[in-house]
Amino acid sequence: MQNLLKILQRYSNFLVFLILEVAAFLLIVYNNAAPRSHVLSTANAFIAWQYEQENEVRGYFSLRQANDQLAAENAALRNEIESMKSREIEPAMQFMSAKVVQMTTDELHNYLTINRGAKDGVIRGQGVRNAEGVVGIVRTVGSHYSVVLPVINTHTHISCRFSKNDYIATLLWDGKDTRFASLTDVAAHMVVNAGDTIVTSGLSPVFPEGIPVGIVENSILHTGDSYHSIRVRLNTDFKRLKHVEVIQNRSQNELEELQHGLD
Amino acid sequence: MDWIKQIGRFIVVMVLQVLLFNQLQLWGVCHPYVYVLCLLMMPITLPHSVDMVIGAVVGLLMDVCCNSLGIHTASCILVMFLRPYLIAAFVNEKERLTEQISIRTIGFEAFIKYAVLIVMIHHLAVFMLAAWSWSHIGFVLAEMVVSSLMTLLLIIGYSILSDQ
Repeated sequence: MQNLLKILQRYSNFLVFLILEVAAFLLIVYNNAAPRSHVLSTANAFIAWQYEQENEVRGYFSLRQANDQLAAENAALRNEIESMKSREIEPAMQFMSAKVVQMTTDELHNYLTINRGAKDGVIRGQGVRNAEGVVGIVRTVGSHYSVVLPVINTHTHISCRFSKNDYIATLLWDGKDTRFASLTDVAAHMVVNAGDTIVTSGLSPVFPEGIPVGIVENSILHTGDSYHSIRVRLNTDFKRLKHVEVIQNRSQNELEELQHGLD
Repeated sequence: MDWIKQIGRFIVVMVLQVLLFNQLQLWGVCHPYVYVLCLLMMPITLPHSVDMVIGAVVGLLMDVCCNSLGIHTASCILVMFLRPYLIAAFVNEKERLTEQISIRTIGFEAFIKYAVLIVMIHHLAVFMLAAWSWSHIGFVLAEMVVSSLMTLLLIIGYSILSDQ
């Protein structure tokens, strides 16, 4: 017993080191696997607030560009309203505008923080888009802020389809260039041309069908390959992301419950 | 240097880290984690285990700001664990360590050797844990070398300025 105590005393620093490291690794594994605590991320109100202040100042330097973008978006929306006036339907989706208060773009696991949270009705798993195309999926929700997993995160998978023939494929990001992503699961018999348009598939309740994703930049098919390797130029410019919209799908809960019921 | 001053410096460095250095986008591989200078220059007066707990707290704060729960925590604990051994390897006059560790207190050569090792170990740990796989190892090593150089330049510059 005395020897044991002596050994413990002798290696006490190393023991403290081991215990702390194990705790840190548990945090990493927990963070990689599960929905995160919003207190320990940038959805934390205090940290997000600081980023927002910084963004306020920065925002003035890109006002002209933001205005142009908004004007273009307004025009497109007006057209859409005109075309919808003839039909009367209750919208199944609602779009809620949000501002990006923090974002990383040059890591493997990029995240962005938006200034909408549970108080505004944001729920984990909702889709996020902007005027240009798909942005990402809500990952962690705080009371006033949320963290979004964007397309440019190696953990993100988005179900897409070719708009020309509805062929389904999955969009992944390889961690290198924020302008491009790759499309997997496209079998060799499918004819892929540069310039083909890729949109969301609507197979998951996260994104409605037909939100623009990108355009095929090139596709490679070596003899003997059973799948194409396709590079897609993303519509969304992640380096200049400022305003986004959270997609609130009224039937999302119902659809998810149905799908879980099948498992 | 007393502890109030240490904590004041820590707050300033963390704000700079989060609002300035984390926003740097140079060549896609340059992510200097300058905040490690607070750990690196801390005087060695506290027990080793307390030092490691301080490392854990500093890392956790950084993680909360970077959405990287656990990664900086693990790296900072590692650095704080190795620190006294590296100091012992490079410095002979132990009595000087009750002041902050800088070029003036431990000498230019010892400080450079010590800082290079601490910064490289810390950055390598952060980038390896962030990648969490071997498939990006080339990218991780490039990131480590470029970011470490940037961090070291800033730390050495700060040390020279603060010694005057």
